[in-house]
Order: sequence, then structure tokens, then C-alpha cells
Amino acid sequence: MTCHDYHDRFDAYLDRTLDADSRRALDAHLAGCAACRQALAGLLTLREQTSRLPRDIVPPRDLWPEIQATLAHTPSADTRSAPVGPRSSRGEVRHRPRWLPSLSLGVAAALVMAFFLYSPEDESAPSWALTPLTGTIRLDANTTDQPSRLKIGQWLETDALSRVELAVGEIGRLEISPNSRLRLLEAGATDHRIELSRGTLDAFIWAPPRLFFVETPSATAIDLGCAYTLAVDEEGRGELHVTAGYVALENGGRSAIVPAGLRCRMQPGAGPGTPYADDAPADLRQALDRFDFGPDGGSPAALSAALLHIREGDTVTLWHLLSRAPATARGAVFDRLAMFAPPPASVTRDGILAADRAMLDRWAEALGLVAP
Amino acid sequence: MPHSDRAERPVVNVAELPDDDPNLVRRAQQRDEQAFAVLYRRHGPRVYALCLRMCANDVRATELTQTVFVNLWPKLSLFRGESTFATWLHRFAVNIVLIDFRTTRRREGRVIATDQPETFAQPTSTPTAGLRLDLEQAIAALPDQARAVFVLHDVEGYTHDEIARLMNLAPGTTKAHLHRARKQLQEALQ
Repeated sequence: MTCHDYHDRFDAYLDRTLDADSRRALDAHLAGCAACRQALAGLLTLREQTSRLPRDIVPPRDLWPEIQATLAHTPSADTRSAPVGPRSSRGEVRHRPRWLPSLSLGVAAALVMAFFLYSPEDESAPSWALTPLTGTIRLDANTTDQPSRLKIGQWLETDALSRVELAVGEIGRLEISPNSRLRLLEAGATDHRIELSRGTLDAFIWAPPRLFFVETPSATAIDLGCAYTLAVDEEGRGELHVTAGYVALENGGRSAIVPAGLRCRMQPGAGPGTPYADDAPADLRQALDRFDFGPDGGSPAALSAALLHIREGDTVTLWHLLSRAPATARGAVFDRLAMFAPPPASVTRDGILAADRAMLDRWAEALGLVAP
Repeated sequence: MPHSDRAERPVVNVAELPDDDPNLVRRAQQRDEQAFAVLYRRHGPRVYALCLRMCANDVRATELTQTVFVNLWPKLSLFRGESTFATWLHRFAVNIVLIDFRTTRRREGRVIATDQPETFAQPTSTPTAGLRLDLEQAIAALPDQARAVFVLHDVEGYTHDEIARLMNLAPGTTKAHLHRARKQLQEALQ
């Protein structure tokens, strides 16, 4: 392997995405190659300079008066009947913001697009665009291999060969895998909702949290700004794998928050299980399955079995176990989590043992989790 | 944090307002413009920095910052506190900027209006409007997509998977853009 080949690996090396063998090989090469060390030092210098860039830059002029001029007559998301355009000082409704004429076409278009992400137009168009990617799909009783629209209440079904892309209004897209069946439940501006009865979907949502919901026989997946894969088998059991952002799973009184890099299983009747890392060993997964869904689920014995396999990085798993553990065993979970990630100053052991919701949320925030 | 004395402050009786984001957001969700003004003062510079670095044009960055906050106002009720307001707003701003990118690209066949480094080296408003550091100018001179990927990854901390999905690119493509950006920046700063 040449120095040029090693240079191509510098980005992954610095971003800690290089696999262990390649990293060791690169380390060995760097030890004996001054030119590569110098090249890598250059990248490190750039990284250091980038880290010192200011987070904030004050705009060259005050933008607030122009923003404020538009606010009073802009409808809120839940008061859509209000007039859209700002009013003049005499009260007439203007057709566009005062500052709009000064905008480039591109920004004006962006403004219009962004506004209509949640505009009443979305609510009056209760269907989503769908594009078959391979094969033939079924829409209720009809089959098609052409682009179409999925309407409220309509079932979409893929066979063993077909895949389909589905636009989630203007806020995201889904790719539906073979052997899947889903139905559109809501296509409103603030509630994009489907039912996935079986199969697999890959979701990418770019809207603010809690606008996209997937109902499954086990739990409802609530987008918190993310990308994820959700699979449901014939018995209604599901598995969620989050690849970016967060997803909340809720079913009655049980909920889970799953950040990127974690998975969560779920079962009808039981709801979401305990999230675990992608690289969690099989022993830990099996122990969590027992605790979440087994005949002695929720018992101190099942919890102890799970704690045996917990690793230092499994803080999200431990945090979920805090509120799910029987009261008599919660202290053991607290101690293990506190060892890996000490609680914030305002979070006490007694409070956690009493399942104090506010304290649990503060610890979650300290762990980089959003509250479920 | 750089500050400008040129920008006038709004007339806001801040003494009557809460000073924490959650309470300010609650007030703003109830259509309290003064609370929203405080949120703008507090977070506007972060949004402007993102827009400026992403589009490398201070006039456009100004317009996009306005776009973000004008569109934010009617969407505030959608903020439920699952993340911090700053995080939520940042993602909102990234979406607005990328929508503008996509719209402009569809219309003009390119991501933004210019690739000419001299445009960025001489900001169209004032020298202190933004792009003052060598590194900032070198970032501004990057090709459009390479700059967007570099800003999102190295400055804002997004992962390749997130960027790929946001920009509708393959992760391998975002890695190639980042590699190109870092290489060009190193050369520019030598």
C-alpha cells in the first residue's frame, strides 16, 4: 500500500470511522513515515482551526424590524384561518411581506416552500405521492407499476419483488420493502400517520419532531427528527433501528426513546422493549428480551441477568431500565449507570429510586437523550 | 462571540421577560412578540452563521436568516421540548437552507448563485459582516456541495449519514466532498 493509499484513509481515521485493522495498519505506517505524519498533522491543524470558528456571527444589519413586520399577521400552526399577509399601518392585508420584494427568487421560493410545509394546502390534499421502484404494487384491490397517490384509508401492499417510494407530504420520504402492507391514516399538516401492519420501511423525515407517526401492532413510532428502519413481522412483533436523530416508541403507558445507533424490539401487548446498541452482544439482547417480553419479564431475576451483560457504553439501555426495573432492584441499575455516567447534581439516588420523572428526564438530557 | 454595535436593538422591556429559553418559547408560542424578539437576539447570530457559511454570500445569508425566523413564528407551537430549543431551531434552519439549495439548483441548475471566490472575499455589505478569517474565506471559496458538506460535518457536527439524507446524496459522495473540501482548505491555508 502506498502513501497515497494511506492518505485516502486519513478522513476516516480522524473521524474514527476506520475499522480496527485498518487503523492499526495506518498507525504502523505513520510510525515510520514522516511525510504521512506531516500530512496528517496538516489535517489536524485544519480541524483545530475549524473548531475555533465562532458559533455566532452577528448579521451586518438588524433584521428584527423586517421580521417583526411580518409576524403579527402570520398564522400560527394551530390558527390557520388567520390572514397570511401582513397588514399595513391602516390595517389592510398586504399580499406579501414588506421585505419580500428585496429577496432573491431563490429565497422567495424557499420561503414559499417552507411555509407550505405546514400550510392548509397540505391538509386539503389527503394523499401522498407514491412511486413504484420495482415490480407491481397493490392499492386496495387494484395493481399498478406506475406513479400514483395513496389516499386516506387506502391500503398499499408490496409483493415479494416490489418496492415503492412514498412521499410523506412535503416532510420526508419512505421506502417500502417487499412483502409489506400499510395504510395511510392521516395526511394533515401536523399529523402524517400511517399504519404498518407488516413489512419493512425506511423513513427519512426532515421536519420538526412529532409530525410523522407509524402505528404498528406493538407501538407507535414517533419521529423526533430522524432516519430509521422499522420492521414488523406477521405476528405484529417489530424492530426499530435508528440511523439518524431520535425516534420515540409509545404504547399506552410504556415508551422508549431510541437515538441513532440503537435498536429496539417491540411486541403486541408489551409495547416497546429496552433499546440497545447496534453492537450489543447476543447475550445482552437475549437477556433484554427476557426482561422485556419473557415469562418472568420485569422481575428482579430477569433484570439481574440483563445487568450481567451491560457494558460501559450501554448508558441509554441503563437509563431505560431505571424506570422499568422493579423498585426493589432499581438501586442496582442506578449504581451501574452512575458508575458510567454520573447523574447531574440535581438528580439524587433517592429521587431516582422513587421514579421521580423530572429527575429521570434531567439525567436523560445529560446523556444526550431527549425525554420520551 | 463577535458582536456588532451597528445593529439596532428592538424596543423590548426585557425586565418583564423570562431569561430562559423554555419560558421564552412558551411566551412566544402564545404570540408574545417580545419573547420572540429575545429568542431572535439570542439565536439569530447562530442561525446567521450557519446560513453565511452554507451559502457563502452575506446578502443571501441575511435573507435566509429572515426566512428562518419568519417561518419559525407560525411553527413554534410544534416545538414540544423533546430537544433543546437551540437544537430544534438549528435543524429547522438547516432544513430551510437546504430547501433553498434544492430550489435554486432545480431552477438554475446549480446549488447557489456563484462559485467566484472573489465574491466571498469581498462581502457585499461591510467587511465585518461575516467572512473575516482566512479559514472563513477559504470555506466560502469551496465548491458548493463540498462547502455544504464541510460546514455540516466539520463545523456543525452532522454525520455522513445525516448529511447524505439531508442532501439526497449517497454517503460515499458526501465523504468524497468532505475529502475534497479538506484538501482544498489545507492548500488554501498553506
